Amino acid sequence: MRATARESRTWWRPWGCESMHDVTAARQIARTVLQAAEQQGAGRVEKVRIVLGAMQMIDPEQLEFWLEQILRGSAGEGAEIEIRRNPLTVRCRACGWEGELEVPDDPIYHLMPWIPECPACRAEELQVLGGDELTVESIRVREAEGADEDA
Amino acid sequence: MPDEADNGYDIVIDVDLSKRTSELADRNLELLDEHGVRAIDVLGSVGSGKTTLINGLIDQLKPRMSIAVIAGDITTRIDAERIEVQGVPVVQIQTGGACHLDGEIVRRGMQRLDLDAIDLLIVENVGNLICPAAFPIGAHKRLLVLSVTEGPYMAVKHPIMVRQADVAVINKIDLAEAMRVDVDRLMADVRQVNPEIEVVTTVARDGEGIADVVAALGL
Ligand SMILES: Nc1nc2c(ncn2[C@@H]2O[C@H](COP(=O)(O)OP(=O)(O)O)[C@@H](O)[C@H]2O)c(=O)[nH]1
Ligand SMILES: [Mg+2]
Ligand SMILES: [Zn+2]
Repeated sequence: MRATARESRTWWRPWGCESMHDVTAARQIARTVLQAAEQQGAGRVEKVRIVLGAMQMIDPEQLEFWLEQILRGSAGEGAEIEIRRNPLTVRCRACGWEGELEVPDDPIYHLMPWIPECPACRAEELQVLGGDELTVESIRVREAEGADEDA
Repeated sequence: MPDEADNGYDIVIDVDLSKRTSELADRNLELLDEHGVRAIDVLGSVGSGKTTLINGLIDQLKPRMSIAVIAGDITTRIDAERIEVQGVPVVQIQTGGACHLDGEIVRRGMQRLDLDAIDLLIVENVGNLICPAAFPIGAHKRLLVLSVTEGPYMAVKHPIMVRQADVAVINKIDLAEAMRVDVDRLMADVRQVNPEIEVVTTVARDGEGIADVVAALGL
């Protein structure tokens, strides 16, 4: 009876939950970035490129602020934070409509779920194609002091 | 192209942190499977009868399997104490006010149990029907406990939770008349939101219908 963690059915995230909110998200990003830099033997991190989906309900300015704070005193201190926003894109399982949906900016959705519907046929069975992600895309780093020049 | 004076370069990471939630749950499932433990995530509003039902399940199943419970009540130890009197190990987890359990919190609870010594792990999730829907903890089945005292609209008001449950229990049917709730109608609502779900009615307090819950869970 091995079931699944049901990723495909769990695409909605409540706003009221702190789990992926600004500070937590910033902490996870910082950890991911510093780990990658260290594994590659990099010296300083100069730039962090992030993709922030509209479904994440995270304020990009807050995220940038917290990330800068958390990176202080690390190899990522002073790194430029580049946040690219990704709109919510869905495909309707009922009629096949594909397109972008506006995520409403209403505090009521901290308390109850926002259930988007298909603008074409009103069905609620929507498959998320993009816009639910919080992706650390890449970082720009500088070689560690004293590292050999690449030929 | 990096210029001569610049020894900077790009490292591609491409990690989606939002997928972490389900990855943690998957890892919990793997660990449980390695140790031959089945896990049930019990969800429902505060007072719907989760703890009462868990006690009923333990009563029925104790003779043939060894059971442990992770109790996710927000602040108190009341539920843990109610279950402990049955002689099964209970791990109380403090969510620190969080409105749901997640894979990481449950993993920490699992580490305090001897998984080789148990066959069934029951997790009482936090009494909230909204946030836990988005946070799989890594259970084989999700058991949703609704009660007639919550009124007739519980299923339609929480479609996401209903869609993610494998079994729905409609509890406290002894109070249906007093509450003027049509149980058949409530069952039909649940099935309409999730055609694959199994629906069972119970009076958990009196042990009524527990055997049906056991069967619906495939235990
Ligand atoms: N009348 C009635 N009361 C019940 C039933 N099941 C549980 N209760 C009562 O409902 C209250 C809350 O139950 P509890 O198991 O603590 O709910 P939880 O918060 O979901 O864990 C307790 O007073 C139980 O005795 C039932 O089937 N019928
Ligand atoms: Mg309880
Ligand atoms: Zn449609």
